[in-house]
Amino acid sequence: MLGRQIETVHLDTETTPATGSRVAERMITREDCGFLIGAVSSGVANAVSQGAQRYGVIYLNTNSSSPSESGENCHRVKFVWDGNGTNFAKAAVKNAVDAYGKKWLLLTNDYGWGHDTANATRALMAQYGAEEVQEILVPQGTPDFAAALLSIQQANPDVISAAIGGDDQVAMRQQVAQLGMGAKPAWINNQQDWPDVYGLPIENLFGVFGTTWYWNLELPGVKEFVARYQAMYPDTSMRVPGNVFYNGYMATKGLLEAIEAAGTSNNIAVIKQLEGYKRSAEERMQHHDAYMDPVTHQLQQTIYLATANTEAGDNKDDMFKILTQSAPDVVKDESAAKACVLESYDDTPTFDA
Amino acid sequence: MSVLLPHILNGITVGLLFALIALGFTLIVGLMEVINLAHGALFALGAYFAVSVIGGGWLADTAFGAWWLGLPLSARYIAALILGPLAAAVVGLAIELCLRPTYGKAPLYGLLLTFGISLVAEELIRIVWGTGEQSLSVPQSINGAFIMGGMIFSKYKFFASGFAIAAIFLVWLLLERTPYGAIIKAGAHDSEMVHALGFDLGKLRMGVFAFGAALAGLAGIIMVPIWGLKPHIGIDVVIPAFLIIVIGGVGSFWGAVFAALLVGLAVGVTGAYVPAWSLMSMYILLIAIVGFGSRGLFGRKSALEV
Repeated sequence: MLGRQIETVHLDTETTPATGSRVAERMITREDCGFLIGAVSSGVANAVSQGAQRYGVIYLNTNSSSPSESGENCHRVKFVWDGNGTNFAKAAVKNAVDAYGKKWLLLTNDYGWGHDTANATRALMAQYGAEEVQEILVPQGTPDFAAALLSIQQANPDVISAAIGGDDQVAMRQQVAQLGMGAKPAWINNQQDWPDVYGLPIENLFGVFGTTWYWNLELPGVKEFVARYQAMYPDTSMRVPGNVFYNGYMATKGLLEAIEAAGTSNNIAVIKQLEGYKRSAEERMQHHDAYMDPVTHQLQQTIYLATANTEAGDNKDDMFKILTQSAPDVVKDESAAKACVLESYDDTPTFDA
Repeated sequence: MSVLLPHILNGITVGLLFALIALGFTLIVGLMEVINLAHGALFALGAYFAVSVIGGGWLADTAFGAWWLGLPLSARYIAALILGPLAAAVVGLAIELCLRPTYGKAPLYGLLLTFGISLVAEELIRIVWGTGEQSLSVPQSINGAFIMGGMIFSKYKFFASGFAIAAIFLVWLLLERTPYGAIIKAGAHDSEMVHALGFDLGKLRMGVFAFGAALAGLAGIIMVPIWGLKPHIGIDVVIPAFLIIVIGGVGSFWGAVFAALLVGLAVGVTGAYVPAWSLMSMYILLIAIVGFGSRGLFGRKSALEV
């Protein structure tokens, strides 16, 4: 890149904000990393980005979907390449109220992303006339959802809007499937990350959920992308790429293209290039063009709603059935722009990476 | 009350499962006075071995594998219930061998060694079985749901609770009604006297450690269809197990069982009314009980006390 060898450093944030902060500090001050890219939880992303902003190091958040990441926790150096809870809720809530009913129960992971997503859903519920019958808060790291599932049965809602992420979501899906509760009440599961469900029984994939990309979209370039992935990673257990890989790939590609376009590795120049990021639907292998919102630094892209593909037959990888695709401006998180205050260029340390 | 009853029932089932998890841990602490922080790793290894047994593992593509996978799931599941704990027991034996230099020294040495072993085991699991989530298939006869009192319950959870009761009973039978159990209890009370009476303390410790490891592996196989299986599941296990033996009293078998039920009820009932506090409730229970009596409910002075 610009005639210079690209070197990479990998460190584990252990899904802990304190570790993420320490790891980011080390990468910047001891490993001399000029750019950070991380598919981490929202709490970790927030911690990492605070450190990155102090040094002016560009941080690409490729996989945390708390609305606050591009809202009150936005930073001049941070760019969010994933859809957030508000995007997915906007794609899902109105349709669900019309299709399933107005009595809604919120099942919320008790941390930043869960609360932000639940609040976004709540606002949309109010807009479309849904009634919140109960909110059940589930601590992060909960292995057993029996108590929550009993409470859900006692509340008897029409719809459950679940903001449960990561390992907790995997456990929840397993236990809901065991009870046969996946069909009724209706489940709206916000975003579903591919690595969390790949290889699991299809009955665990109940309800409607969101994603930014799927490996079997019938769009130009998708098959070739999947083939290149399989050729590059022949030994990986995940035989096809998912949204997390896709987001990371697109973010890294976007960064390298921005550096090339800027003609320099100066962080401010690259930030300005990224703020002007626009790609066609074909380049993005999505249904709609995508662009970086310069106000919030969140990529505005196609948002897909999907459900389990029960007709995949022998193709165990074809787990999703895409239901709808929404254009970026239809599902845009309008409240983020009001909450986000990016640091000025002058207040962001400048350096050449 | 009718709102609370299902949650009390859930709490009891959760408690029985916690008891199953804590059984092996309390045996090892009771006799060997070693806090085995590798207990979670043994739990995970038992489950991973079971996944390989049921799915055919590395022999899946061979003629034997084809024959094996043609067997009913129930047969393979029973085989996993036997082979998984056996594999965990073998690993337990290896851990015990590593622990021998730490006997008679400060308990911190054993604790640090087993902590290190748990980290190594977790990485080995990632290398051998991969980093992704795995699932353990169970026979259809114990899978699915049933309705009781107008509420849906998990068949498997009740099977697991019943299995836990059977395991608790069998361990009690071993400890109370067999000569080997008498030797184990005597060794926990006064290991020097047991040695002086001519019993091979080394073999006794090996046997107990292997048995405790097997119980951990068995708990893993039983719990994983509820909790899911991932390389770092061990940490989700060792903390509640340690907490339970402290609440119940270090070295007390029935203390561990009673404490597990208390913890299960705390988690289950708070899950109904203040779910955000459900995981915290076990720590609040710990503070409340240990605050009144530092040795827990049924504890006695042990070599771990300085």
